[in-house]
Amino acid sequence: MQFTKPGLLAGLAFGALVAATPAYAQVTLKVWSIDGVDRTGIADTFSKEFDEANDDIVVEYRAIPFDEIVNETLRAFATGNAPDIVSFDNPDFALFSSRGAMLDITDRVANSPIISKAEYFEGPLNSVTWEGKLYGLPKYTDTIGLFYNKDLFAKAGITEPPSTWAELAEDAAKLTDPANNVYGVTFSARAGEEGTFQFLPIIQMSGGGANKVNTEGAAQVLDIWKGLIDNGYASRDVLSLGQWDSTGVFNSGNAAMAISGPWEIDRMVEDAKFDWGVALLPTINEDDQKSSALGGFNWGIMANTQHPDEAFRLLEYFVEQEDRIFPEFGNLPARGDIELPVTGEAKKDAALVVFQDQLQYAQPRGPHPEWQKISKAIYDAEQQALTGQMPAMDALNQAQATIDTIFKQ
Amino acid sequence: MSRYFSGLRDGIGFDIILVGAALLFLLALAGAPLVYNVLMSFQQVDMFTLGSLFRPAVGFDNYVAVVQQPEFWLVTRNTLIFVFGSMTGQFVLGFALALFFAQNFPGASTIRGLFLVSWVMPGLVVGGIWSLILAGDYGVLNVILRSFGIIGSNVFWKSDPNFSIWAVIIANIWLGLAFNMLLLSVGLAAIPRDLYEAAELDGANAFQRFWTITLPMMRSTIGAVLSLGLIGTLQQFDLFPALTEGGPANTSNVAGYWSWQLSFQLYDFAKGATVSVMMFLLVLFASVIYVRSTRHEVRG
Repeated sequence: MQFTKPGLLAGLAFGALVAATPAYAQVTLKVWSIDGVDRTGIADTFSKEFDEANDDIVVEYRAIPFDEIVNETLRAFATGNAPDIVSFDNPDFALFSSRGAMLDITDRVANSPIISKAEYFEGPLNSVTWEGKLYGLPKYTDTIGLFYNKDLFAKAGITEPPSTWAELAEDAAKLTDPANNVYGVTFSARAGEEGTFQFLPIIQMSGGGANKVNTEGAAQVLDIWKGLIDNGYASRDVLSLGQWDSTGVFNSGNAAMAISGPWEIDRMVEDAKFDWGVALLPTINEDDQKSSALGGFNWGIMANTQHPDEAFRLLEYFVEQEDRIFPEFGNLPARGDIELPVTGEAKKDAALVVFQDQLQYAQPRGPHPEWQKISKAIYDAEQQALTGQMPAMDALNQAQATIDTIFKQ
Repeated sequence: MSRYFSGLRDGIGFDIILVGAALLFLLALAGAPLVYNVLMSFQQVDMFTLGSLFRPAVGFDNYVAVVQQPEFWLVTRNTLIFVFGSMTGQFVLGFALALFFAQNFPGASTIRGLFLVSWVMPGLVVGGIWSLILAGDYGVLNVILRSFGIIGSNVFWKSDPNFSIWAVIIANIWLGLAFNMLLLSVGLAAIPRDLYEAAELDGANAFQRFWTITLPMMRSTIGAVLSLGLIGTLQQFDLFPALTEGGPANTSNVAGYWSWQLSFQLYDFAKGATVSVMMFLLVLFASVIYVRSTRHEVRG
């Protein structure tokens, strides 16, 4: 019982301290992102740093798994508990920006001494733009290219990686070696966003886009891909494998080419026991318009924030730190003014040069508020064609009919 | 006053309290969401009206739109195949195992207990394991089938539209087998032994005993197992994301997974609600048949 009195005093003193602290009002900012769910990333690290460096602002960070962040934010926004800053995968962004759920930061960015809109790549910038206004900023970006096994290429007597899909099919035929369990090529045509991610660039190369998918060129490439599967040059399981698993097949030497992105590089340096390189995504005809998928996340301030000024300050801090995101987290900045440091790993550095080149051709998915429905129409059509349930052109026409109803609304 | 309280303790009042508590619970936790779901299927829902109860009514527009989706009939067909395939497999194999373990041999009850393992496993884990077993190039199942000469080349269970729904059915049969077996074992144990002894004395063979004693005595158990099986199969979800994600091209998509996809992947909450109302009607229909078929049953 002797401790009661000092304890009480200490409690009082502590209480007085707490009561005295908000002499200048503290602002609490809520930040939601997928970083920190399985490994630390950009959002959790920088939020913590900003929280510690600024006494007038408290940053409450919450990590939400990839599959849940859109639903969680939708619910929170509907009930008035939305975060101040949130980070979405770029095709999901328009769902919010088109409905006025994100804060228009066009003027703030124009007046910011830290953020320079002109430095951002066009594709990522389009994904945060809606009707000419800027509703967010790209957080990082990525894209896809063609990884190829140089040892197997040399063995098959092929000197250059393919630059068109027809060449890729020819090479795949030469590289396939069933006796040693080697497929010519692997990719992902899964029933999900990854399927669209890898197939939409083909539509874009052929002159189409998310609103026009039934092009001759897209049908032609689908037929080539179907041939790859039917002839055993690619595993039929490309229809259910995600990109990470599909590239795992390449890393173990069981596929001579793989379509995937820069997020594979670190694992490939570790796992692949052969010489490999990266080439630009093949085109339909030799001198066609190049295209590639645009991955990566965006930042946005939600429209119903109570503290837009403080939230923008935090956003500026995130942008200020962007030269650190590649060395620390392996993410590619969505800006042209940041030089990537040389890592000293020859294959990795060579690959990054190609991916930076490829990024210039990367086009966003959408932006459209009902992107997910468009995406399902596209990957459904791709799968119908590849499994032979429908001729490629019929499948694409059916997808076009679905997409037309979405764009008409 | 005291009469009022004594009525609460052991009169009709007590009964009403008991029934009332259960009813209140049911209405709050099952009734309200159900009504909300039905309501949603007749409304236009978007992110701004997600939190409100009264939204613009659209009549049967959502129902028409769902039926007009190109995948509607494919999903319907798959749902029927999935339900009948899974239930038949689970029931027939479960019954066979229950009969087998009803025989007296050393370790019978221990091994029967071990079957519970599959029932305890979370669906996602089961899906993950079956995903490895059913993999096209390196899957164990293909290796086994090839070594027995049953197949000449690999079957791509998850990626071939002819097999994808069966891949999920195989995993689902494995998952639900133990539950079926246990319920049926309990039913078997409840049949009085002397019935069999009497039949044996009268010269009935094993098949006749099964057909004239076991099956009729098991009627209510079988009814319960089948209706629970129907509900369990319709609400099966975990295996789909782990195995095929409804692909390729919806060839393994069923109503339950489609409803989730519409709501939580395509953010079309109204259509998602519409599909689940349709499923509810199907279950309601099945339950009515079940209740009617067992109405005249003398239980015990």
